[in-house]
Amino acid sequence: MSKFILALSLLSASFFAQSKQISVSVLTEQNVPVSNVVVYLTPKNPKQSNISNKIKIMDQVNTQFLPHILAIQKDTQVRFPNSDSIKHHVYSFSQAKTFELQLYKELQADPLLFSNLGVVELGCNIHDWMLGYIFVVDTPYFGKTDIQGKVVLDLPDGEYQLDVWHPRVQDKFSDLSKQVTLPAESEMKIILGAALLPDVNQYEEISGEFSDYE
Amino acid sequence: MNKTFKCGFAFQPKTLQLLFLSLLLISTKGLAVEVKGLVQLNYVKASDQSSWFEEGTGILAYSQDSANVQQALVEVSDNFSNGLSYEVVANYYQLGEQNLGISQAQISYKPLSSAKLRWRARVGFFYPKLSLENVDTGWVSPFTYTQSAINSWVGEELRTAGLEFTLYSPGRTRNSPISFEFHGSLFKANDPLGTVISWRGFAMHDRQSLNNDRVPFAPYPSVIGEDRIFHPNYVEPYHELDGHIGFYLGAHVEYYKQSTLRYYYYDNQADPLEVNHQRLYAWRTKFHSLAVQHKFDANTRVLGQWLSGSSVMGERFVYIDFDAWYLMVSHKYKAHRISLRFDKFKVREDDIFPWDQNNSDGQGYTLAWRYDINKNWQIGAEQHINKNSADIRATLGENIQVDQNQSLAVLQYRW
Repeated sequence: MSKFILALSLLSASFFAQSKQISVSVLTEQNVPVSNVVVYLTPKNPKQSNISNKIKIMDQVNTQFLPHILAIQKDTQVRFPNSDSIKHHVYSFSQAKTFELQLYKELQADPLLFSNLGVVELGCNIHDWMLGYIFVVDTPYFGKTDIQGKVVLDLPDGEYQLDVWHPRVQDKFSDLSKQVTLPAESEMKIILGAALLPDVNQYEEISGEFSDYE
Repeated sequence: MNKTFKCGFAFQPKTLQLLFLSLLLISTKGLAVEVKGLVQLNYVKASDQSSWFEEGTGILAYSQDSANVQQALVEVSDNFSNGLSYEVVANYYQLGEQNLGISQAQISYKPLSSAKLRWRARVGFFYPKLSLENVDTGWVSPFTYTQSAINSWVGEELRTAGLEFTLYSPGRTRNSPISFEFHGSLFKANDPLGTVISWRGFAMHDRQSLNNDRVPFAPYPSVIGEDRIFHPNYVEPYHELDGHIGFYLGAHVEYYKQSTLRYYYYDNQADPLEVNHQRLYAWRTKFHSLAVQHKFDANTRVLGQWLSGSSVMGERFVYIDFDAWYLMVSHKYKAHRISLRFDKFKVREDDIFPWDQNNSDGQGYTLAWRYDINKNWQIGAEQHINKNSADIRATLGENIQVDQNQSLAVLQYRW
């Protein structure tokens, strides 16, 4: 009888495609929240999901990549505008996407398609201090943690694999991976075992202002 | 990929015309070639002492109250996907002997690399990157109009025609706050470097010498007399006279983008006995330069530079030791920038001719305000005062010690 009820409830859940809000927090062992962490939940039984046609933006502002980390779903196009009054030469040697792009100040470069999963590390051959990341995931359910180390996502009930990614995390990402069943769980915590790599984002705070070498 | 490169690589051997057409399109649309420019018009209230441009003994650029074109320059550059780039700066100056010319021309190669230690190189006619003051387009200072004594001299006499090789490691690729660069260069020309500070002494201005320029100075009897040193009262600083190859070495260390230290050692390796048909000498000039900058935040910075070296010509006809330093504070408030600089400079001689007097020294304060009206237009004003002395003035019957003031109002347009 109880099996029958469970089956019925599962059936109704999928029939009405209930969605649930879940929150994921990423903390260090010392309970310090870690912001800007990509959190993504990949469904165990993926449905044909529509990829948003919207083009994502990785801008260049004050000789920095903005955002520092851009998470996108696989097969998304990314445009690289240049909001600076100087030129940039963006490149990546990453396996997920190797490319280079000259960004003149008044030229709109065509967007690039990111079809391979994983991390794409961006640099600029003119401004060596510029560093940015595009992280490509195979799910529509992803986000980045806020200053409290927390991200809230809306996703349908079902089974998922929860993963995180951030360039300063030294833990093996597969060790941080969790199997999640919704709606059973709604608040999750990922505790990092290893210390974070040094925070060098101070490169973003004061950058070159003048056009020559600085 | 970028449209420009589609155009750039659309080269077919038999369609040379197409290439020209596409190059024309690129340049007219301003896509590939980047053209920057800067023009400064000023009104100056000058000091009484006339300048070296008028063959006077003053150390400021202007001799009369007047309206002038202070700077007019165009910087043309382009970067190619293979890591090659070029940059040419052409200037017009109202003051001086050569009014139109090139102040910098270089081809750089910086291969794309993800390595922690990388290299790049440049060849051409350029400045060693020893100044933290001259960081605006075309080696102009964004802080004051009248530049430090050190970089006024660098601008008027120092330029190397050579090859510079750089090893560098951007800190962010190592997850470290420290970035560093090591520079080494071999160059020709620049043999007469040191002439103008030996006789006139240090000066303060923003006039960069152009490719074939001539820097005049007062007709000091001990210099021009046929029975004296017998040297013209000018120098053409970029001559190669002895065939010797000069070198410089440099090291940059940076903490984030916040604090910077740059050390250079320069030696033109000139043979001081070499003299050309104009009676210009090769001066063996060597110096150390140390420049530092610290940004307290995005708006406030302190920067300074110290230069110390020596120069010798002939059989110790002239031998000088020189020392100069400056300290500057610059603060940006909204679209305003206020900069205050203190300069101190000294030249001391130790040579065989007591009648050729090379001792000079001085100090100066420069206070500048600049206001960006928009991204193209800027207005500004500057007050400069200095006290300086040059023993050689006595040979012209002038007072050795001179106080000079200069007020500037400047309108700037950049694109």
